Amino acid sequence: MEKGLKLTDILVTIIIALIFGVIYKLWGPLYGVVATLGLHLEQLIYGMWFIAAVVAYLIIRKPGVALLAEIAAAQGEFIFGGEWGVATLIFGIGQGLAAELIFAAFRYKRYDMLIASLAGVAAAVASIGIDFYYGYIGDLALWNLLILFGTRIAGAILISGIFAHLLVQALEKTGVTNLVRPATKEDYQALG
Amino acid sequence: MAMDFSYKETWLHKINPSLKLLIMVLLFIHLLMIHNTNILINYMIGMLALYLFFTGHPWKRLLVISIPFLLIFLTSSTSMIFFGKGEITWAKWGLVHITEESFFRGLHLGFRGISFAILGIVFALTTRPVYLFYSLMQQFKLKPKYAYSFMAAIRLIPLMIEEMQTLHYALQVRGVQGERGVNGFYRKIKSYSIPLLSQSIRRAYRIAVAMEAKRFSNHGNRTYFYRLGFSKFDVIFLCYLLVIIPLSYVTATHFPYFSITDVRFGS
Repeated sequence: MEKGLKLTDILVTIIIALIFGVIYKLWGPLYGVVATLGLHLEQLIYGMWFIAAVVAYLIIRKPGVALLAEIAAAQGEFIFGGEWGVATLIFGIGQGLAAELIFAAFRYKRYDMLIASLAGVAAAVASIGIDFYYGYIGDLALWNLLILFGTRIAGAILISGIFAHLLVQALEKTGVTNLVRPATKEDYQALG
Repeated sequence: MAMDFSYKETWLHKINPSLKLLIMVLLFIHLLMIHNTNILINYMIGMLALYLFFTGHPWKRLLVISIPFLLIFLTSSTSMIFFGKGEITWAKWGLVHITEESFFRGLHLGFRGISFAILGIVFALTTRPVYLFYSLMQQFKLKPKYAYSFMAAIRLIPLMIEEMQTLHYALQVRGVQGERGVNGFYRKIKSYSIPLLSQSIRRAYRIAVAMEAKRFSNHGNRTYFYRLGFSKFDVIFLCYLLVIIPLSYVTATHFPYFSITDVRFGS
C-alpha cells in the first residue's frame, strides 16, 4: 500500500477543485460589482472562495484533501487568468491549511455541518490574516473593520459551511460519493 | 482559457515555467513590502511593459483582458479611500470619511492590485499548463501522481463545459421554468451542480483507475516526454527584473509623483 493519497483520491479532489476554480474565476467579476456598493457587502459572498476545501473533504474524507483542493482551485483560478494573479495562490494555501487544521483537530472523523462551518470560519480567519499585509485592513476605521470581519465570517458559514454541506448531502443521494470514500466500520460490519 | 488561442511565441514563453512561478511568488512577497506609492507605480509600469509588448498575443485580446483591471483597481481601493484611518480630512459625508492618508493608501492598494493582476495574467498568457507541470516534476520534484492528475483534470474541463451546455438544453427542452427569489436560485444551482459534480467525479474515478493501471502514479526512474531545462531566456528574464526593480527605486527617489513615501497609518 502506498502512503498518503492515492492517484484516484488526488484526481477526484483536483477535478472537484477545478470545477470550483472555474466558479472562483467567475466569482471575481461578481465580487467586483458587489464591492462597488460599498460597506463590505461583497464580503458576504467571499465565503465562496473557501468552498473547494470543504466540499472536497466532505466528499472524500481523507487527510490532506482539503489543503490540496484549495490549492488546486486557486491554481485553477490562477492559470485561467484570475484577476488577483499570484495573490490567489498565497490565499489558497493559507485558507486550505486553516481548513485542514480544523479537520485534523477532529481527527478527520467528523463530517457534519458544524465542522464544515468551523472550517469555513478558519479559512476566513486565515484570509483576514493575510489581508492585514495584503490590504492594510488594520488601517481601516474600526467599525468598518468589524463589519468586514463579521460579514466575511457570516458569508463563510453560509456558503462554505451550510451550503457546502447541503450540496454534498444532495450528492450523496446520487451514490457517487461511495466510489471515493474510504470503507467505514459499518461497511466491514455489513460484510459480517 | 488562454491555451486555446493562437499567439506568437516570445521569449517569455521560453522561460522555465517553474522558475517563472517561483519568481512570481517572490515578486508577490516583495511587492507586499513596498509601501511607497512612487516605487509601486514605476514597478507597475515595468510589469505593464511585459504585458503590452512581450506576451505575443494580439492587441485586441490584450485590451479585452485588461478591462477587469479597472474593476480590480476600484474594488481594491474604494473601501480604504472611504473608510480608512487618517488625520488630514478632505471630505466627510456621514460614514464616509476621506482623508489624505486614506486616499493615498487606497490608491496604493489599487496599484498593488493591478500589479498582481498584470503579473498573474502575464504568467497565464505565456505558460502552457502542460509544460508547467512537467517542469514542476523535473525541477521541483513534484510527485508525478499530483502532476498527471492536474494535467488530466485540466483536460476534463472543456468536457465539463460541454456537459453544462447539454444540461442547459435538456432543462430548456423539458420546459423547466426558473423560480424567482432565493429558493429558486438555490434550486437552479442545485439542478446544475449536482449532475455536473457527480458526472465529473465518476469520470475522474474511471480515468484515475486507468491511470493507476498504467503506472502514472509511479515515481522513481521516470522518463519524460517533454524535457525542460534552463536557457538564456531565464537569464534575460532575471536581467530584466534586475534592471526594472532598482530603476523603479531610483526614479522614485529622484522623480517622485507624490510626496508621501509610506502609506501605512502612523508612519
